[in-house]
This record gives sequence, structure tokens and C-alpha cells, in this order.
Amino acid sequence: MGKEQSPQVNRRTTRSSSSTTPNSKATGEVSKIISSTKSLTVNDLVLSDESVNLEELINYFPHRRMQILELIKLLGPLNSPMIPLFVYGGASTGKTSTVLEIFKHLSRPFIYSSCVTCYNPRILFESILNQLLLHRKNESNGYSSAKRCEKPSDFVNLLRDALSTLIDSLKGDVGKSNSKKSASHVNGRMIYLIIDNLEHVREWDKSSNMLPFLFNLYDILKIPEVGLIFISKTSLDTYHSDTGYVEPFPVYFPDYTEGDLRQILLKNQSNPKLYSSFLDAVLGPFCRITRRVDDVTAAISPLYKKYCEPLDDTGVIPNKDTKSELYRYINPYISQSLKETFHVPSQPTLEASASKDKTKRKGITKLGVRESLDKIDFHMSTCAKYLLISAFLASKNPATLDASLFDSTGGAGNQKRKRKSSGKSMEQKESKEQELLVKGPGTFPLERLLAIFQCITSVAEYSPDDEDPQIDGQGADGWDSGLMSDVLLQLSSLCSSNFITKGGSCPLEGAVRYRSAVSEDMALKVARSLKFPLSKYLYRT
Amino acid sequence: MGLESLAEQAQILLRSRLCNPNFIFSIFSNSPDSNYSKLKYMISSSITEACNNSVLLLGPRGCGKVAVLELVLEDLLKEYPDMISVIKLNGLLHSDHNCALKEISRQLCLEHQLLFSKMASFDDNAQFMVSMLRECGLAHKTILFILDEFDLFAQGKQLLLYSLLDAMQSVTSQAVVVGISCRLDADQLLEKRVRSRFSHRKLLFLPPSREDLQRLLEHILLLPMNSSFPHEYVAAFNDKLLKIFADDKFKETVDTLSYCDSTVNHLLRFLFSAVSRMDLKSGLLSLENFKAALSTIQRQPKLEALKDCSILELYILVCMKRLEAKEQELRNFNSIMKEYKSIHDTFPSSDYYARNVCLRAFEHLLQRELISFEDNRGHGQSTEFRPVKLLISWPELYQGLKSYHSCPLILHKIMDREG
Repeated sequence: MGKEQSPQVNRRTTRSSSSTTPNSKATGEVSKIISSTKSLTVNDLVLSDESVNLEELINYFPHRRMQILELIKLLGPLNSPMIPLFVYGGASTGKTSTVLEIFKHLSRPFIYSSCVTCYNPRILFESILNQLLLHRKNESNGYSSAKRCEKPSDFVNLLRDALSTLIDSLKGDVGKSNSKKSASHVNGRMIYLIIDNLEHVREWDKSSNMLPFLFNLYDILKIPEVGLIFISKTSLDTYHSDTGYVEPFPVYFPDYTEGDLRQILLKNQSNPKLYSSFLDAVLGPFCRITRRVDDVTAAISPLYKKYCEPLDDTGVIPNKDTKSELYRYINPYISQSLKETFHVPSQPTLEASASKDKTKRKGITKLGVRESLDKIDFHMSTCAKYLLISAFLASKNPATLDASLFDSTGGAGNQKRKRKSSGKSMEQKESKEQELLVKGPGTFPLERLLAIFQCITSVAEYSPDDEDPQIDGQGADGWDSGLMSDVLLQLSSLCSSNFITKGGSCPLEGAVRYRSAVSEDMALKVARSLKFPLSKYLYRT
Repeated sequence: MGLESLAEQAQILLRSRLCNPNFIFSIFSNSPDSNYSKLKYMISSSITEACNNSVLLLGPRGCGKVAVLELVLEDLLKEYPDMISVIKLNGLLHSDHNCALKEISRQLCLEHQLLFSKMASFDDNAQFMVSMLRECGLAHKTILFILDEFDLFAQGKQLLLYSLLDAMQSVTSQAVVVGISCRLDADQLLEKRVRSRFSHRKLLFLPPSREDLQRLLEHILLLPMNSSFPHEYVAAFNDKLLKIFADDKFKETVDTLSYCDSTVNHLLRFLFSAVSRMDLKSGLLSLENFKAALSTIQRQPKLEALKDCSILELYILVCMKRLEAKEQELRNFNSIMKEYKSIHDTFPSSDYYARNVCLRAFEHLLQRELISFEDNRGHGQSTEFRPVKLLISWPELYQGLKSYHSCPLILHKIMDREG
């Protein structure tokens, strides 16, 4: 989500991403030209195929002139020490790409590690060391790191060694290139460590130690030739620590304004005039919802296609009439897409594997996509479906009503309930309903789930004799009580795939309580696939 | 042309000064009642008298505890060569006693040209340390243990502190333990058995006074007369600086700076920003540099984040605020949506969006950390139901909305009414 994918920043390449070695997320080096057998040199710490001049750099990032100039000032002239910097700003404001491009412009050696790919301290440490030691994982070394280190104490020792050898070699290089031809294009003898996505460190296991350690790293190392740059999505005040830390120097990247967004989106357009008139119509409403580049581009790119539909020639320069005509044409689509923004289109995949199910499912419940698809787009056993439904019912309905809902006559409880509802109880129910909506699905013990499960499966079994015509026997085919044996197994697999969540144990009963995590739409869909009259059993006002 | 490269040289000099705390604090080393003199006296006397000692250096972060200690060590190493060996530990790295003992043996081995074995067990290392302490004591060599972030060593069973201080109880050993902590109650954290073995010497490090600050500024920023720089440039540079220092506006700037944080570190960051803003054409620092530096260092992250919000996100924040004002117990996405709907019912506007759009905006707010979940427990539960809290205060929100250039009038109205 946070990855910049908008047209203006898609050149964001770290050495890692442009590298060919598949396993070298963090150890990749500049170019594909260097074969993996060739040993790496200091030159590979510089990201420069062609040097970028300052003007180009500033033009390349619209509305980042202030930030670029400030960063360059703070980095200072060649070989000047620097206090740690802390670059922060919202998602997709060009923090990482700007910093990396600045280093390309300055062609100074740096090391880039992101706390997203390096998701625990060990990987982060090893990634930094690998790059410093000019080590690359490949087949010959069994894709292992240069050094194995898990603890910060080992890391500091190794880092100090690696840095001092590297700095020595840089100093040597500078001396050489003065006398001979300039073989190296490395500028200066400072080494910069860039640690990206720092906010993720807070979720690590030992974050209470890790964060102050990273912030204090400069003081611990006491090597003036090292520059530290942290990049984070959240500001410094969100990094809590008991005894504080040495605060780095903050550099802020604000979100783009509507005008900035317009310029960014206009970049690299084949027909800027047409696109600009399109943006006139579209950008305003969208900016009221979000000003994130990635979100806006994703939302308006299908609209532009729609916008161009009435035109025969997309190269045409629109005049006033066509503009207003096109505006009238696109307007209904805008309001339509404003409602649907950010929905995740679910592709019907036949070979939906278990893991895919999981991720898709999560996405659906999380984003709350309200799509009225008739079919569920993954496979699930009938038993699991019934379990899911019973879990949903157990979460939705108050436990006291179970008896009346699931008595021997099946759906009869429905009528009974209706009869009862008088004015006062209606009110009560309403407030209860509201509470349910606010508090979320309720919890239930395992026994209740199994009881409901048994009730609804027995209804399904005897459905042909029942008065309810909606249920036919097919859903219950080959469905006998023998299957009950692996219900617990099914339940645990539902739990592990996050359909049902296991809550904490109830303090009074001591048993584990469960909670259904599916939305009503999803439950209805599952029920429909079983031809199970779910709505009959739902407790509503 | 020459001027520009001179200015660059000057900038590099100033920046390396700012990044070197030992230089900064050397100014305090010549006054007799400074912490520097006290500490030096304490350590040197225990070296000459060959006794064990322990001391705590306490004070807020960025007041030069480590720097002063380093200066003292530097001097002592010159004064008593071959009589001191220094072992440095950091609570952030070595709070685990296993790891700490390993590091101690590693540094001892390095110091005495012994072979260090990575495979040595905790017990081996502990024995090694004790025997080294004895040997050094016999050779009249003092071992200085420097424990940075001392409070972190006091976590858990304090095994390291105990074994260290216990080993120092014998007559033969000769060691000094210096603990550094920003917790003023660091000695209260110790267990009874450790505390009884610890001498309760404490040195308090405080932020500099106003006069000291002035001296510090001159010490840091003035260029040295006897250096590679041409005399005229140094004279011009220093003249301009002294003029700035005398300026009332500059004094005001420094006052506002030390008003919120008067530690030296804060000052250094401020000066760093000012120095890196120096105009290379004129080669001199100007008052504007300092003013600009002040504005970059005094950030208001919540207001910045508020400025980045979209209109819809502001609506959600105001809804949250209203729920808070109503003292509703449970606030989550669903209750916010109810509030949002009621606002829309009373003041119909075009800013009424579908639920999933709002959910997305809600998630953006979570990312910006303007709101956060109340607990970390309900991982399984979906976002809509988890209770959230507002991380921005009422005045901040009010101020932020006022300065938001296209904020809808309705929101202002609601905020005014709530206030």
C-alpha cells in the first residue's frame, strides 16, 4: 500500500530491487552488469549509472524543492560529519525515492536497508553488514550472510570493524584517484546508513530495546565518518521509550496539496490538455477523500478511460464545448466511483489454494467490500460451511434466544418471536441491536457452537420432510452424524485461517471463547451456497 | 571563488565540532568545581591509592555525562599510562549478563593481548574476569568499568552488577565502576545485595545555565585565529557572529530554544541546522540562519499531520471528538459512523461518503497515528469493532481546523459548539 507506484516515482530503484539475484533482497548491488561471480568493490555502494544534476533532480520531484535543498544542506559538503537525520511524512510522499535520488546526485556511498524486508533484528543487522562487507549472497556461498549476528552487541563490534575497513579503503581510494586517473566515482569518505520504514520496528518483539539502540547507534559507534538517516511514516513523537533516546534531526515531507497532485498526475501524459480538463472534473471530489498519490492514481485511471470513450481521437485538444460535453458524460461515473473507491476486485480463481483463500478473505472482511456476488470464490467443505454459519449465528444472536430459535420445529421460532414483540420490547431490542453493531460480534463457548451446529445440520438433514421448501436435500447429501467426528478439526482450521477467532478465556467459566470474524454478507453468501435459510435464524428487530 | 571554498572549509570545521561532544564539553574542564574536576579527582585518587570505587553519573540526556567521562579518561590515560585498562559496556547492548561478561572478557583479552575464545561459557568468563581483577590488582593496574545506560543493567536479576561488585570486595582487586544513567533514581533500582556493595557517590549533570550557554556558543562557533584560514576571513566571520550574539533578537531565539529543552544536545542540533544553512556566497552566518533553524527544530507533528488530512478524515476526527465529549464509553468505527450519519442528517452536505470509503479514511488516520487502537489484544477482531482513542488534544484539533485552509464551515461550527 505504502509503496510508491505513481508515475512520477516509479523510478524508485534501490540497488536491491534492480538486482538480479532472487535471494538478495538486501544484498543486491548496483547493476546487473556485474556478474555474481565478480567480487564487489566500493564503487558498488554508489548508486550511479549516470549522474543527475541538481536541476534535473528538483524537476523530477514536483513540489519537493524545499525538502531536497534542505536535505542536501544537511548532508553538507564532502567529508563533513552529520548528526542523524529523521525523515518523516505520510505514505507516498516520496521520502525514500527523494533520499535515494539525492545520493545518486551526490554519488556518495550509502547503504540502504528497509525494516519491511528486514523484518527482525537479525536480518536487519546481517543486511547492513553484508552490504558493508561487499558480500553478496549467491550459490557459491549457499546464500548465507557474511557474518552471523543476532545480538546488538555483536552487531556493533562487527559494524565498527566493517566500517573502519571500508572507510580506510575509501581514504586510500581518494589518495589514489588524486595521483592516478579517477578510477572510482565514489565521492568522499563518509558512509551513510539509511534505515527505511522505521515505524515497523515498533512492532518487533524487542522493540523497547531495539528503537533506542538504533537511535543511539551514532553515539555508540562514535565514528564521525558515518551518517545515519532514518525514514519513517510517523513523526518522532510516536516513538515512545521509557528513558528517552538521542533525538535525531527531523526533516518533514508534507503531503501533496491538490495543486501538487495535479502537476504530478499531469507528468508523462500523452495529451496534457485533455488530461488537464479531465482532472478539472475529477480531482476536486477525490481530494476531499484522500490526497495520497497512490490512492488517487488507482482511483482515477479507470475513469480516464471512460472519459476518453466518446472521443474518436485521444490526441484531440478539447475546446470549451467538448469539455462541457465530456464533463456531463463523466459526472455520473465520478459519483459512482466515489462510492466504490478502493474496493478490491476479486478475481474468480479456480485453483484457489488455502493460503490464497486466507489472504483474499482477510482482504474482504477488512475492507468491507459489499459486492453482491452470488458465489463465494473459494472452496470450503460443507461441514466447514455449516460451522461457519453456526459460528456466525452464535456471535450474532443472544444466547438466551437459542432455545426459541432452534427448537424441534426449526423455523417456527421465527413466528414466535414476532408475536412477542410489543412496543417496549421493540425498543429494548433496538438498543440491543445498536449495541451489537457497535460492540461487534459476541463471543461464545465451544458447547454453544456445537449445539447450534447440531441443530442446523439436523434441520438440513430432515429438510425434505420439513415445510420449508427452500431447503432441498442435496446440501445434506452424504451428510451423516459420522462426520461430526472431525468437527473439531474443521474448527481449528477455521480458527487458523481467521474465519473464527479464539478469544481469551472467560474469567468465570475458564473455557476458551470464540468469535466469528465474517461479515454478514459473507455469511449470507455461504448460506446461499448451502441453500440454508440463514435469515430465518437471525435475530433482528 | 576562494571565498566559497573557504566557507565550505569553515562549515566542515563547525560541523565536525558539533558532531564531537568531547570538543563541546572541553570548555568545562578548566573550572575547579565542575563535574570534570570532581570526577577526575575521584578516579585518579582511587588509581593512586589502589582502592576500589564506584560512582554514578546522573542527569538528563544530552548533558555531557559520557563526554566529560571521556575527557577525564583521555587525561588519565596520559597521566597514568599502563596503569588503567578501560572496559566499556552499554546497557542497550549488554543488559543480558551472559552477553555482558563475554564482552568484558573480549575487551580484557584485547587489552592484554590474550586470545579470546568465542566459545567460552558464562562460568569461564566469570572466572576469567575474577582472576583478571586479581592479577591486575597485584600488578597495581586499575580496571575501569564504564556502564552506560546503567538503569538497564538493573533489570532482571542484576547478576552482572552483583558478580562485578562482589569481585571488587576482595582486598587484592583494584577496580572502579562508573555507571551512567539518565534516570535520577538509578541507585534505587538496585537490589539490596547489590546496593550494599555499591558506594553511593553520585555526580549530577544539569543543563547549562544561561551564562554557560553564552560561553558555549562562542566556544563552538567562533573560528580559531591560529589556523589555516586567512586572518581576514576569520576576523570577518567572528565579528559578524559576535554582532549576532549581541543582538536582542538572537537572544530571544536562544531563549525560546532553551525554554522547551535547555540541554546541550538540543542546542547542538539547533546550531547544526543553522550552520548547514550558512550562505556559502558570503561565507558568514546570519541571523536568518538561526531563525530558520529554530523553526525547523521546533516541530508540531500533530498539527502537521492534521494539515495532511483530507476533508473526510477531518470529519472522522471531529466525530471522534464529539463522541469523546459525549463521554460515550466505547468508541470504534461503527459508533463513529453513527455519529457521522447524525452530523450529516442535521447538516446535509456533499461530504457524505459510503462506508467503505470512510473505513479507508479511518485506516489512513490510524497510519498517521492521529488515532490508535486502545489495546493491542484484539488482533483477530476486524478493524470496525476495535475500540479506538484519539491521540490529538482538543486545542490542537481546534487550532488545526482553524489553520486548515479549506475546512468545511460545518466542522468549525461543531467544534465551536463543543468547546
